[in-house]
Amino acid sequence: MAEFWTRYRRNRAAVLGLGILFTILFMAATAHLFYPEDPFRLVGRPLSGPFENGFLLGSDSLGRDVASGIVHGAKTSLLIGLIATLVSIFIGIFFGAFAGYFGGRVDDLLMRITEIFQTIPSFIFAILLVAIMKPSIFSIVIAIAVVSWPGVARLVRGEFLSLKNREFVQACHTIGMSDLRVMLREILPNCLSPIIVIGSLMVATAILIESGLAFLGLGDPNIMSWGFQIGAGRTMLRSAWWVCTFPGIAILITVLAINLIGEGLNDALNPRLKERQ
Amino acid sequence: MKKMLSTLCVVATMAFGAVAAYAQNSGGTLSFLVQPEPPTLASYVSTSGPIGLVMPKVYEGLFDYANDGSMVPILAESYDMSADGKTVTFKLRKGVKWHDGKPFTSADVQFTIMEVLKKVHPRGPNSFREVEEILTPDAHTAVFKLKKPAPYMMRSFSAYESPIVPKHLLEGQDVKAAPLANKPVGTGPFKFVEWKKGQYIRLDKNENYWQEGLPYLDRIVGRFIPDASTRTAAMENGEVLYAAYNAIPNIDAVRLKDRDDIDVTTKGYSMINPMALIEFNTKEGAFVDPAIRRAISTAIDRRFMIDTIFFGYGKPATSALSSNFSATNLHAAMPNYPEKGDKDAANAILDKAGFKKDANGVRMKAVLDIIPYGEDWRRAGEYLKQAMGDIGIELELRYEDVPTWLKRVYHNYDFEMNVNYFYQLPDPVLGVHRHYGTDQIRKGTHFVNSSRYSNPKLDALLDSGAGEPDAAKRTAKYKEIQQILAEDMPVVNLFELEFLVVYNTKLKGVYDSAMGAYGSFREGYLD
Repeated sequence: MAEFWTRYRRNRAAVLGLGILFTILFMAATAHLFYPEDPFRLVGRPLSGPFENGFLLGSDSLGRDVASGIVHGAKTSLLIGLIATLVSIFIGIFFGAFAGYFGGRVDDLLMRITEIFQTIPSFIFAILLVAIMKPSIFSIVIAIAVVSWPGVARLVRGEFLSLKNREFVQACHTIGMSDLRVMLREILPNCLSPIIVIGSLMVATAILIESGLAFLGLGDPNIMSWGFQIGAGRTMLRSAWWVCTFPGIAILITVLAINLIGEGLNDALNPRLKERQ
Repeated sequence: MKKMLSTLCVVATMAFGAVAAYAQNSGGTLSFLVQPEPPTLASYVSTSGPIGLVMPKVYEGLFDYANDGSMVPILAESYDMSADGKTVTFKLRKGVKWHDGKPFTSADVQFTIMEVLKKVHPRGPNSFREVEEILTPDAHTAVFKLKKPAPYMMRSFSAYESPIVPKHLLEGQDVKAAPLANKPVGTGPFKFVEWKKGQYIRLDKNENYWQEGLPYLDRIVGRFIPDASTRTAAMENGEVLYAAYNAIPNIDAVRLKDRDDIDVTTKGYSMINPMALIEFNTKEGAFVDPAIRRAISTAIDRRFMIDTIFFGYGKPATSALSSNFSATNLHAAMPNYPEKGDKDAANAILDKAGFKKDANGVRMKAVLDIIPYGEDWRRAGEYLKQAMGDIGIELELRYEDVPTWLKRVYHNYDFEMNVNYFYQLPDPVLGVHRHYGTDQIRKGTHFVNSSRYSNPKLDALLDSGAGEPDAAKRTAKYKEIQQILAEDMPVVNLFELEFLVVYNTKLKGVYDSAMGAYGSFREGYLD
């Protein structure tokens, strides 16, 4: 662990990313302390500019506090990003592991299914899924997971293919371990580092997809999110720039931070890869 | 002095008017915004807004209506009503031809009213409900035989409300499925040419239009631009010259109005009379008790909704009828419609009715559906959720696509509370009765009595009020109707919408019809 941290620290940008992410996490966790009211609450004069009428970042067309929306929205964005990523990693591991480990027909079947999903443009597919299931936090998580798992499946399959013929796996077979145990206890832990790296990047993509959906009006109408704020403010961009600018910056910073962390994880977990480059 | 000035103004207007009459330029293409893209072009089956923007240029009605309410003869030259009000004889215009060259006759009128509008049109069955038969003694005379006098019927002959369609292209077919729907053939000043899905509808000048010298424009192009800010940009750079029904969001309209070449008007909607409202499911769900509905109406700050969401364009509702019906003395302001909302009074109503707040201050939970016609309505839903939270009604918002929403509300009645807007039209019989009448509980028909409110006493009043020839008696009957509705509130009216027309001042001659954007544009020209 200490060694991991040493390697991670070498990437300054990654440390910065981690710092930013912790700040955002802190913000999300303490949203209720700073802004105890519901972020949808109409708390003041509509379309007040930043620092006007007691609004730090201004208010939107109904008089909702943009700053309150950003801190509460942080929770939504991060949560959706995280859960959707976990779900898609789970599906991806399932498909990839079986395909890589068993090979042959199982591989063919599972990979063809994966390809079907890969050929559909992911954002459009996500829009379709949310539209069919009608917008709610649950359908959004499912939609993001469904469009993002094929990458994981591909990666895991590759790792399993290369690991399944190693000596330690053969040793496991000779002592009579079951296939499932070999897959879960022996091979999977050995391919965790690339999964962690791809997972961290997927969180960023998931946040972007969620914002995109909310921007198009396909977000959960009952939950504050950054995409919702931008979507609600975009028609008045020219007369009230602050309504969508600040949530936009929030998305930018968060996605940037997560990407930097992903880079750092990659450096720390695959040091040889880095040196080769 | 003031009087003299205004006299001067009148003289000047007259003079300019006279000049303008000689200055109409022929030719040119008018691009205007059609938002959203229409689902079909069958204006005789659907009254959906975007269809109304396009089709009155192609199909015509028997009459048009001027801004002052007077009738302008179009396909009918004149009409004559018998003393008992039960026979109306229309003299039809001679020499009118359909776009395919066939002559227009009284048989078309008979077929349109009896076989099309009375059967498949959303509002036709109501507008023409007293019409028993139509006689056609000759090719240019149509005699409407009515069961009871129906003075309101005379307000529904516009091209938008009752388009006259060609009998020879619909007869013997399933009217709802006929190919005419998307290949319209009318008598109007413009002919349908093409519909490029997702882009535009093109109409070209009808060279054989019955009125010599009209239309002035060579072509009308209805553009579909899904994104609001792109629409505004198209208006700003002169790509489109006319935008109605809030195709340009109010926030932009307010900004554009300051430019020299762009102007804004609220005229052209007086025959439409749009009313924003909430429909309740009165049969099942959270809002069966009328006390809750009264409390909701009492709690809403209508002024806030108008000022913040619609930028001041609108008037708080004060009754089941729009205040525009004051002109015919039908409107009467009612209790339970406070302009600024009274949450204490609303809470008191709910307390008294026995709906207790729990530890979190919640009395009941419900789902609020929102009309999926754009951002403004979402904001309205978000406002309502907050306002209702204050009186202990916890709402969850649901925002679906148009077909799903229509199906939920008007086919399956699977809703509790629905934000919507209705056109009250020029007479309550045409636009308001459909909310409340027991005979208007028509499963699967859009924009009728989805609340499934049924009150025999009200039905009787609606029925007798509709054909009441005596103005004072009619006023009294409608007052009683409004009192019942303010008590039971199957529908809570929010505010009278004031739609805007945003137009380039280059475009002239299209502002005199009370139909506004649903007019024919036959006298429109570019300066």
